[in-house]
Amino acid sequence: MSNVNHTRILRLALVAIPILFVLLAFLQRDIDAAAGPLQNQNPELMIQSGKMLKKMSLGYDSLLADIYWTRTVQYFGFRVGKPGETFPLLAPLLDITTTLDPQLIIAYRFGTIFLSEPDPAGAGRADLAVDLVKKGIAANPDYWRLYQDLGFLYSIRLKDYPKAAEAYLEGSKNPKAQIFMKVLAAAVALKGDDLETSRAIWGEVYNSTQDELIRRRAVQHLQAIQANLDLKRLNEVSEAYAQKFGHFPATIQDLQRAGFVRGAPKDPEGYPYVIGPAGVPQLDPQSPVVLDPDKKQAVKP
Amino acid sequence: MSSIPGIVAVNTFREAVRDRVLYNLIFFALLMIAAAVLVGGISIGIERDVIVNLGLTAISLFGIIMAIFIGVGLVYKEIEKRTLYSLLAKPVQRWQFLVGKFGGLLLTLVVNTLLMTVGLAIALFYVAHKFESSDATILIAIYFVLLELALITALALFFSCFSSPMLSTLYTLGIYVAGVFAPDIRDIGLFTDNPAIKTVAKCIYYVLPNFHNFNIIAAAAHKEAIPHALIWQNTAYAILYSTVALLAASAVFSGRDLK
Repeated sequence: MSNVNHTRILRLALVAIPILFVLLAFLQRDIDAAAGPLQNQNPELMIQSGKMLKKMSLGYDSLLADIYWTRTVQYFGFRVGKPGETFPLLAPLLDITTTLDPQLIIAYRFGTIFLSEPDPAGAGRADLAVDLVKKGIAANPDYWRLYQDLGFLYSIRLKDYPKAAEAYLEGSKNPKAQIFMKVLAAAVALKGDDLETSRAIWGEVYNSTQDELIRRRAVQHLQAIQANLDLKRLNEVSEAYAQKFGHFPATIQDLQRAGFVRGAPKDPEGYPYVIGPAGVPQLDPQSPVVLDPDKKQAVKP
Repeated sequence: MSSIPGIVAVNTFREAVRDRVLYNLIFFALLMIAAAVLVGGISIGIERDVIVNLGLTAISLFGIIMAIFIGVGLVYKEIEKRTLYSLLAKPVQRWQFLVGKFGGLLLTLVVNTLLMTVGLAIALFYVAHKFESSDATILIAIYFVLLELALITALALFFSCFSSPMLSTLYTLGIYVAGVFAPDIRDIGLFTDNPAIKTVAKCIYYVLPNFHNFNIIAAAAHKEAIPHALIWQNTAYAILYSTVALLAASAVFSGRDLK
């Protein structure tokens, strides 16, 4: 009788359990939908002290650092690109990660970008990014790329060109540092707020990372710099045209016919420049190029 | 026949009381008194939040410890003391015995939780000097803790049907921890382009008991409104998953050679 009972219960379990799991999966989807607003609340950091966490990790601090770094990436990834989104836990998370593992270079390098990019591409906190990268330099004085990041922050984000030059110069003293560090130090010291200097800095940002997000931002900036340089030149040509003919050109073709430009000048995305009202050259309205990528509406998801 | 699980349940509850299981309430009371007295001195503006967070966390932790450590010994103890043989000699089916044991421990946990709720309410009143309608969220949070405990009890009982108490404790604790991090496992799939990893992460997410569902302690502390649908959904989830665990436990236990 016991065997009969066992067989009966076993059959029931084999049939019922898969069915119950299917029901549970559907129910879980409903729960996820219902609990969405609760789960999407601003998360909290129960322990904000990296030093305390280091002690609590019982020696497994580097593994914990990896976990916190993953959490940082997820925290940033879920919020980036959403206008008005704030990143209140980004700096504490990065601080904890780098306290747990001060040699986790990636956390300093990406963290710098995450923190310094203006809203909605980042937290817009270049000041905190400077603190982070300085912490990285203190823990990893031989890693010259962190000086490059510090120079980038000072020149591009904070417009503090003497400090930027100082950072590039300090980094260039490292025997492993590439020559462009010296070039950038000189360029920033001479003419900090210059498009060519910005192009050199963003070019190095592009070359020094494999991360798709950062590369995309660098390309966006490089395209913007190129378009600004082109428009500056076209503006000069338009002025010259007006001086010669007494009126501004109505189209780019007017400039071509007068021999001021050859062919149809195009922006970095291949869209021809156009002449706007009052003869001012501008981007084609269809062009995806943005002249100021740091403006809020400039970031495309 | 249908009253057999009830009889086993009542006896299990009596045994738990005899074993002084409810003594943990003294620790809880001391914790609440200390927190209520000290909280004003160590925090500004979040006294209520601290009491709610601490109270609900303690209710949950004490309950989980009880559910796991008593749950894994429910069957083992009966076999060790040989009381199971005399019981099964009577017209008692093994699944009835298991359901009764589950009900008995659940009853113990409910009584324990209710008493701790009273303690939390007293501490809350001491700190806030009043109750608010939004405090109902705390009761919902406690109800969710009970659902969580029911699920843990069922899992502990399942493991104890084929394993030693030590291993059953590890298994139950492991499943609990994995279940708490279920959403993080799902999110691993969101951050990869590998479809195989995505599928595996999703499957694990749906198969693991999702203990994250039951945690609304932060929402209760911040007086957040809880969607009504969530109450019945979580109830249904706990019932269905506990049924799965008890069915599996019955299937394993009914085939076990007890000689």
